[in-house]
Amino acid sequence: MSNSTLEGGAAASTSAATPASTTVMSMQQALNRALDEVLAENPRTLIFGEDCGRLGGVFRITDGLQAKHGAQRVFDTPLAESGILGMSVGLAMAGFHPIPEVQFDGFAYPAVNQIVCQMARMNYRSRGTMPMPITLRVPSFGGIRAPEHHGESLEALFAHVPGLKVVSPSNPHEAYHLLKYAATRPDPVIFMEPKSRYWQKDDVDLAHCDANDDGASPTGAKVQREGRHLTLVAWGAMVARCLQVAGLAAEDGIDIEVLDLRWLKPIDAEALAASVRKTRRAVVVHEAPLTSGLGAEVAQLITQSCFDTLKAPVERVTGFDVPYPSGDLEDEYIPNIDRILFGIQRVLEYKRG
Amino acid sequence: MAEISFPLPDLGEGLIEATVLEWLVAPGDQVERNQPLVEVETTKSAVELPSPQAGKVVRIHGGPGDKINVGEPLIVLEVPDNTAGIVGTVPKEEAPKRRVRLSAVLDED
Repeated sequence: MSNSTLEGGAAASTSAATPASTTVMSMQQALNRALDEVLAENPRTLIFGEDCGRLGGVFRITDGLQAKHGAQRVFDTPLAESGILGMSVGLAMAGFHPIPEVQFDGFAYPAVNQIVCQMARMNYRSRGTMPMPITLRVPSFGGIRAPEHHGESLEALFAHVPGLKVVSPSNPHEAYHLLKYAATRPDPVIFMEPKSRYWQKDDVDLAHCDANDDGASPTGAKVQREGRHLTLVAWGAMVARCLQVAGLAAEDGIDIEVLDLRWLKPIDAEALAASVRKTRRAVVVHEAPLTSGLGAEVAQLITQSCFDTLKAPVERVTGFDVPYPSGDLEDEYIPNIDRILFGIQRVLEYKRG
Repeated sequence: MAEISFPLPDLGEGLIEATVLEWLVAPGDQVERNQPLVEVETTKSAVELPSPQAGKVVRIHGGPGDKINVGEPLIVLEVPDNTAGIVGTVPKEEAPKRRVRLSAVLDED
């Protein structure tokens, strides 16, 4: 973690007065509001990407921001992701806090050089004299019947790169708070938005991220549902699905805890340990392919801390080791309710020896 | 609501225009994604063009027999603001369905 030397680079958001603090919003609206406030609070922030300016983004996340904050701070770029991220690196060197968007997950591939070779390590390379306060928004994961390169889950790729932080919100409330927090970090943060959850509306408490948070930062994982018998670990769009599964499992008398990992780098190992120490069983669910997916890292962290008390090996329910399929096969690829229930059953019936 | 205009795409390799044969939808119609919109004829073939997006037809350009150049407006659709420009389909929120039931003897040792 670097310390930013930029003035205003870590402007606290404590001044945001929010009287009636809970409101119902979609994730689109929550993200839009967070960006609007970040632009107002920190004059060094800039938002840009393909169609981010005049159109307001293909998912409407930057809708109205150019009209309100001006075309010098919210603007369109050419269709060149390497240019978007290369420019972000230069702007960060010059003292700005860029909040670029790559329009879809799969469009990040052309910018991997800029992300991995420049953005992630400029702070190290410069011995801390060139921090990279860049918040890269990436509409991520599948679930909207989109064509190729529009449904990728890149968290393991980004989490593997030293210098990057990775976070993914699961609902509008988390989206608002995590984006506001990410956009004040002195380090590069990959902000993975679960695009299949953009439209669902839910309560957003604008004043508090976590219950009794005492104004603390939204770091670490968060228990979204408490349970006694098994922990489901998930992030992004899979959290909502795991909450559905927990509801169904309750019909069968199985009390499931759902842990929303939120931060995928660094992973909150203590929260994993605390939950599984209690439940003694764990299933990790993600959309990304199985092999070398983040589920392996989660399983190892749990095993490390809970080996003595685990009732069964940590189970993984994930996508398959194939390129993300076309829309018609999407429901077979993304972990569905029955596949997650099967994973839970495998853990429940495991016998030692 | 937002309006989205779709231009005539290049229907072959380097074709520059097409002739409208018959419109299969009219202004005011609600169309679904991939629903045939119009039959056009090029120098190579006659083809039906599917709708790239669900929406309500606002305007159509060109009547039967009219030539339209590639890149010129073909049809304008009205779509909800929050789906304008989306690649893909807004997922439907459905009640969870299950086939698998859990069974376990939770012996506490």
